[in-house]
Amino acid sequence: MSTVSPVLRNRSARIALTVVVAIALIAAPLLLPAFANQTLVRIGVYAVAVLGLNIVMGYTGQVNLGQIFFVGLGAYVTAYGVNHGWNIIVVFVAACAIAGIVGLLVALAAARLGGLAIAMVTIALPIVGVPLAKRLSEFTGGSQGISARFSDAPDWSGLYSDQWQFYIVLLVTAAAFLLARSLVQGKYGRAFGVVRENEAVAASMGVSPYRTKVLAFTIASILGGASGFLYLAAVQYTSPETLSFGHSISLLAAMVIGGAGSIAGSLIGGAYYVFVPQLTNAIDPSFTTLSQGAILLVVLFLLPEGLVSLPRVIRRLGRRRTARPTSGNPPQTAPAHHPVPEAAREGLENTERQDRP
Amino acid sequence: MKIRTKPGGVLGIVAMASIVALSLSGCTRGGSGQGGGSGASPGITDTSITLGITTPLSGATAGPGTCTVAGVSAYFGAVNAAGGVKFGDGKTRTVTIKSYDDAYDPQKSLANFQQMVSDNVFAATAGLGTPTNRAYRDAAISEKFPQVLVMTGDPLFSDQKQSPWQLGFVPIYQNEGAAFGKLLAASKDQHKVALLSQNDDYGKGYVSGFKEAIKDASNISVVGEQTYEATDTSVDAQLTQLASSGADVFFNAMSVTPLTIAALQKAQQIGWKPSWFLPSNTSSPTAILEPGGAAAYPGIYSVSFAKAPQSPAFAKDPDVVKFLSELKQYGNYPDMPAFPHCMWSYMVGATLEQAFKNMTSPTRDSFMTALRNIKGLQAPLMLSGTSIDTTVDGQPAVSSVIVQKYNGKGYATAENFG
Amino acid sequence: MTLLELADVTAFYGPVQVLDGVSLSVPEGGSVGILGANGAGKTTTLRAVSGTVRTGGRITFDGRDIRGLRPDQVAALGIAHVPEGRGTLGQLSVRENLLVGAYLRKGRKAISADVDYCLDLFPQLQDRVSSRAAALSGGEQQMLAVARAFMAKPKLLLLDEASLGLAPSTAKTVYDSIRRLRRESGIAMVVVEQNANLAFSLVDTATVLETGRNVLTGSSAELKGMDEIRRAYLGG
Repeated sequence: MSTVSPVLRNRSARIALTVVVAIALIAAPLLLPAFANQTLVRIGVYAVAVLGLNIVMGYTGQVNLGQIFFVGLGAYVTAYGVNHGWNIIVVFVAACAIAGIVGLLVALAAARLGGLAIAMVTIALPIVGVPLAKRLSEFTGGSQGISARFSDAPDWSGLYSDQWQFYIVLLVTAAAFLLARSLVQGKYGRAFGVVRENEAVAASMGVSPYRTKVLAFTIASILGGASGFLYLAAVQYTSPETLSFGHSISLLAAMVIGGAGSIAGSLIGGAYYVFVPQLTNAIDPSFTTLSQGAILLVVLFLLPEGLVSLPRVIRRLGRRRTARPTSGNPPQTAPAHHPVPEAAREGLENTERQDRP
Repeated sequence: MKIRTKPGGVLGIVAMASIVALSLSGCTRGGSGQGGGSGASPGITDTSITLGITTPLSGATAGPGTCTVAGVSAYFGAVNAAGGVKFGDGKTRTVTIKSYDDAYDPQKSLANFQQMVSDNVFAATAGLGTPTNRAYRDAAISEKFPQVLVMTGDPLFSDQKQSPWQLGFVPIYQNEGAAFGKLLAASKDQHKVALLSQNDDYGKGYVSGFKEAIKDASNISVVGEQTYEATDTSVDAQLTQLASSGADVFFNAMSVTPLTIAALQKAQQIGWKPSWFLPSNTSSPTAILEPGGAAAYPGIYSVSFAKAPQSPAFAKDPDVVKFLSELKQYGNYPDMPAFPHCMWSYMVGATLEQAFKNMTSPTRDSFMTALRNIKGLQAPLMLSGTSIDTTVDGQPAVSSVIVQKYNGKGYATAENFG
Repeated sequence: MTLLELADVTAFYGPVQVLDGVSLSVPEGGSVGILGANGAGKTTTLRAVSGTVRTGGRITFDGRDIRGLRPDQVAALGIAHVPEGRGTLGQLSVRENLLVGAYLRKGRKAISADVDYCLDLFPQLQDRVSSRAAALSGGEQQMLAVARAFMAKPKLLLLDEASLGLAPSTAKTVYDSIRRLRRESGIAMVVVEQNANLAFSLVDTATVLETGRNVLTGSSAELKGMDEIRRAYLGG
């Protein structure tokens, strides 16, 4: 709540803003060039994957290094369904459901383990997934991958394919984000937060850490599957490379950069995932790894809570600048009113230690 | 706290950078006529033509990927310095190369392709990787965008009906298997062959090419056939099985380097010493044959179509000397090429130049027509006996390979088996 | 009628026996204190009830054997634990902390009414309701921990060292509010407390533990001022 500016607290302003954003999103693909639409489509794909990761890692605090596996699984299910002529709604449901069921089964086993053991299990997923995808060539097309086209614009729509894909992605992404938002703001979201912070306290309030972790992991997998469906809508092709382990790490970096434990941060994370390679390609294609690493470090150094905290930081800086000439006080007076949470926590531990007999 | 007042500027840069990235996408729908004359395709003007390469420049396959850019850049760098290419429509143009890193990620190669469209690139070429090339194949077809002379052994790219805007460059797996089969069939002696292959399209391609070539040869019999999975860590069981077949020729269609070394060691351990055939990508003298102790075998055969610059036999070859100096000067690649892709993409440059010379109008259609009509072109660095032939449907630009035999140091062309 | 009954409860931390046959009886709506020196087993007794340590012996709640249940199962039966060190969820806001306490409850209106009740009970929390709990002072965090436990509408509240680390005046404020809470809600309580005066202000009966065993049990009136009590607190 603290990140929302006072204007947004006003209910009618909020509704107006929502309407404006909705209209902008619906009109955008008609006005933007194709490449911009294609870029936005990919942002949607990865925003949903990062959103899932955020549910299980950002909100529930469980390390998950296997999110890309569920994206790949969703993509393969989609490709299989499309190539077998299933109805597209059925394909979508299957992509989410199969990813969710696999996620549930993995979580039932993995959530019994603590901390690093979960991380190990999730690392294993993409590592097993790649050779598995190569071997099950009947379903996956082997190492050459599999194409499936369902997202070309139908003739009656009068749209270009990039516009049509935009609307598919917009529909699914918007639904995923709205559902996730109401989830994390509600009872289960609070349960995620308690489990992340203190499992013992969670249990003492009737929140089963085990079930909560399984729930978070399963939701993350379902969102991974949905992202895989969108991946196929955008790329129309998938191969074992799609679920390679490195992409899982990139997703994780995108989540942290966007803002762990933030719904808006997931969207920013998706944008980061897509934009940064384009940006670094523009700088110098031979040094993409180097410049990506540099960008990552710069963002984390300046905004440890992710890009989503940028408005807050700018506000703080702005306030300090305006405060200086009038008060004439040294700059440290301004931040004192807006304690950084880390600093506050640190201070608190100090008092506690001092108070102990 | 003082530090905190600074970031505004840096943040500004980050923000600017994202704006730049966004504006890079600028290009209105339909790619409005950037051509020099009326009816010209995007990416070609009266004085220049722009080619795009999406290839892995970072990650595990960055080595060969970097080579694909370096070779083409080296070739056209020298051509541009000499004034450019005189196209079939009478105009002389310089060639601009734009490279894009896809890190072997299909999703990124598609994004790069979309960016090429928006950057007004005329054609995509030389990119390495089967999944990455497949990822934008459909998009290239619907955009009527040439995706040619790409580095993949996947036959799909050379099937004109399915891939009207594509053409592969390097031999498909079948070509390599067939070359060895032919050499064997021409032998005067009787041979018993054992086959071991990777259980995927790679291994299957080699085996089917080989079997096709020996189909009518009465002197060759396949006495044992085994497969393994690309993820297996040992093929000892298969080797023992095959050794008991008494084969004197061992066709090992294996793509995994450590496994190939282990197989070379294991076979001599169990006292089986046949002649070997190894695919071009797992036959490196220094990386595989020496550690595997290949000298123990009567013969190690592989295939190639490019002169190897590191081989003493070609040290003074004029092609090689010119290639190495251009690679250094224009390809930003000062070292001895570590991967054959440097040579291959240099040949891609020569093939493209030939197509440019023959295209009669500045359109992609005309380019494809010209490209599909090259026959018998002996591109620089090609081994004698191989040539570019783009006219055969179902075959990549290079389908002829030369079987070579290991001589203890490097490879030399093998005229016949034995 | 007895709500909670511990009979001959034992517990080990590794090879060390911390409870050696503890017994305790809490009537419905009653309030029982556990007194004793550091290491006597007071906190472990509470943890035995809430299911966070494995125990021997018999623990019944509401006529049901609860020994061996998981903590979340125990909580679901109506036992809320205010742990030592408060267990504040620092990243959650004060309001979220309170709502988490009501995790197992249904009925939005009643929950919302109880949040208001808690803020009335602990007015200091009123102003901080949207801030992160990590930014609260120690006393406020303790209040929040008690309020959060109350939000579960438990039948029994386990209160562990609510005065720990607080200034005496703050501790008194906290206990005043807890007394009011008890008066108005009738929740039964088991109270572990180092400060005897604070403890006796809240409990009807108490038991004194020494090295994991009951050494003395009686009403607050009987126990107040007895030598054993003083000895227990001085560590004798």
